[in-house]
Amino acid sequence: MKRSFVATLLACTVLGGTGALAQELVTADRVGDPGAPNVLTFRTNPGQSPNNPSPEQNAAFKPIWQEFAEAHPDWQVQFEFFSTDIGGEHARLLEQARAGRAPDCVSVDSFQLALFVQNGVLQPVTSFFEQEEIDDLFPFIREGITGEDGEIYAWWWGTDLRIFYRDTTVMPDAPATWDELQAAASAAAEAGKEGVLFNGGRWEGTAFDWLAHFWSQGGELVDDTGKPIFGEGDNREYMLNALTFYDELVESGAAPSRVANIATYDDFNAAAIAGTAASFIGGHWQRSQIREGMSPEQFANWEVSEIPGPTPDQRATGTGGWTVAAFSDDPAKIEMCVALMREVFMGPANEVVGDLPTRQALFDSLPRFQDEYFTQLRDYLVNGKARPGVPIYPEISNQLQIMMGEVLAQTKEPDAALTDAWNAVNEAYSRM
Amino acid sequence: MTEGVATANAALRTRRRPRWRISEHPYIWVAPLTLLLLATYVYPAVEVVRFSFTNATLLNPEYEYTLRSYQALQRNTSLGGLLWITFLFVFASVVFQLLLGLLIALALNRGVNRNLPGVSVVRIVILSSWIVPGVAAGIVWQLIFSEASYGFLNSLLRDVGLPPVKWLSRPDIAIWSAVIANIWRGTAFSMILLYAGLVIIPKSLYEAAAVDGASAWRQFWYVTLPQLRPILLINTILISIFTLNTFDLILALTGGGPGRATEVLSLYAYNLVFRNFDLANGSVIAVVLLAISVVFTFFYIRLLPKENET
Repeated sequence: MKRSFVATLLACTVLGGTGALAQELVTADRVGDPGAPNVLTFRTNPGQSPNNPSPEQNAAFKPIWQEFAEAHPDWQVQFEFFSTDIGGEHARLLEQARAGRAPDCVSVDSFQLALFVQNGVLQPVTSFFEQEEIDDLFPFIREGITGEDGEIYAWWWGTDLRIFYRDTTVMPDAPATWDELQAAASAAAEAGKEGVLFNGGRWEGTAFDWLAHFWSQGGELVDDTGKPIFGEGDNREYMLNALTFYDELVESGAAPSRVANIATYDDFNAAAIAGTAASFIGGHWQRSQIREGMSPEQFANWEVSEIPGPTPDQRATGTGGWTVAAFSDDPAKIEMCVALMREVFMGPANEVVGDLPTRQALFDSLPRFQDEYFTQLRDYLVNGKARPGVPIYPEISNQLQIMMGEVLAQTKEPDAALTDAWNAVNEAYSRM
Repeated sequence: MTEGVATANAALRTRRRPRWRISEHPYIWVAPLTLLLLATYVYPAVEVVRFSFTNATLLNPEYEYTLRSYQALQRNTSLGGLLWITFLFVFASVVFQLLLGLLIALALNRGVNRNLPGVSVVRIVILSSWIVPGVAAGIVWQLIFSEASYGFLNSLLRDVGLPPVKWLSRPDIAIWSAVIANIWRGTAFSMILLYAGLVIIPKSLYEAAAVDGASAWRQFWYVTLPQLRPILLINTILISIFTLNTFDLILALTGGGPGRATEVLSLYAYNLVFRNFDLANGSVIAVVLLAISVVFTFFYIRLLPKENET
């Protein structure tokens, strides 16, 4: 009896020990051994974590996280997650950083990065990268992560761009100009489809996507000092041209009036999959999403091209993306944060989530980006334009969203709506 | 003799030092709660008022005290529209939440009185709408109001041969869509309060009215409504304050658009602080909201039954 009790106890101890040894190194909110002495807190989007909601991407990510955990046995990365309210999340993050309570390492939206650099809450990471790697970055990426002192304050690992999707059974030829898009979308609408969809609701995507039409004419939102200039001189004319173009799309029925309330890219996916939309202006990442929701036959009918411009030679597209930045001033944590940038995000994460590599060499070598689709995107990146990283940009975006809503809902003429937006931005700028 | 004097002196000392009783020192009981309220309610409110007299932004840790934000409020050409939208949203929400809450409470009360089965289930189902977070409610109603071919309400309309409605893209309709969603969410709270009020009305009043030959309608008018009056008033004030501070539902439903068609004051304050990093001007709007809520609260306190009335 006594012997069997001891045997049971021993078995329990051994099995328990084995269980502890086999404890998962990768869970939804942790990477690494839970008993590891060093902890790095990392705030990011669920899609860039072991909590990725896509089963396909989650499975592809898992070995990368596993390898990372095994390579750093003394560390555990504890994840915190952003909600979908990215603007609000970054405002709170800035407050936390100022109070010294920010996580050690954070995924920062590329267009918000400048605010954090200017506020001096990020740690420089230049010394962790080879000059060759830095030089290999696309110019607008390198510019975006470099502070006035020439130091690099984050690693911008993935970028995205806006493109034009169309159902070739309804719209066989890619429209190259605004007029061609107007004609093709009107024809599709007459055939019972929603001619063209785009963001027009109250959110950042509305301003950002539409700005491609402003930028393609050579428009600038702010000058070198960060002062708004979009409502004066040639810029005002470019704004009005782009605004009138969207106004006419809705007024003519080429775009449905519901665009005035579209505030998520998911609406385009749903309409494309349902077969009700002929075309839409969306993000490059949506291709894999609509492929998941469509039959192979239906998906084969969808093609992408550059966003039409006022003329075939005037093209632009908004480029965004995500960076990883170190907030902690602990050298060991900075090093670990850089390890995340290098070992997880610089390349492997591009392969998993499909965000475009920001280094030419990676774009040329990563297997996922060697097909015809990504070759197309690489060409479009030439016309990529990032949002200005200036403090007034959020208010410019807010006022452009209001302006778009009023014009698309046909409650204001473009000229009056632009004047109101311009005055409101200047009022806000005067208070800064 | 000496022993007797000592005993008497001891008794006197006992009488001179009455026993300390905690029940006679209410501040000790109240202190923890007071501290909690000061830390979680009063301090943030004081901070909001303080920031409203500064030029603080989230972008710059340094600020100075100024009246510029209040002066900017006077120049704000959007303010009139924002106030009107807020008034519409609050007024319509409150009226319909009260009416529907009362109707449901009456039906439930009747059900309970008649021992009808399933009353509890109905009560739970209605309450579930109140439990749903505002953002989730906004997303659900966005699907319902969606103007895409798969939109729920428009599909129903098409099925009965009616044209689709631009629920969220037409500014003059979008505000009513937001009101409908808010009524759905808030009616349960009114229902619970009013149901509690109905339950405590003495049955003898209805029996007396029935003896006098009063119809159901007259019983409702002359017995139920007067008895419910204090609860109705308190309910009105509470849901007015709740609705005034609602922004999460609208944020998820329309984001305040199209344009500014559904942007209420609380959402405007949120946008100012968390999108434009403008702490001072956001605080000014928060102070305006606070002032309106204080007025409502003042009426609420006046309407609460006094101790000697209970």
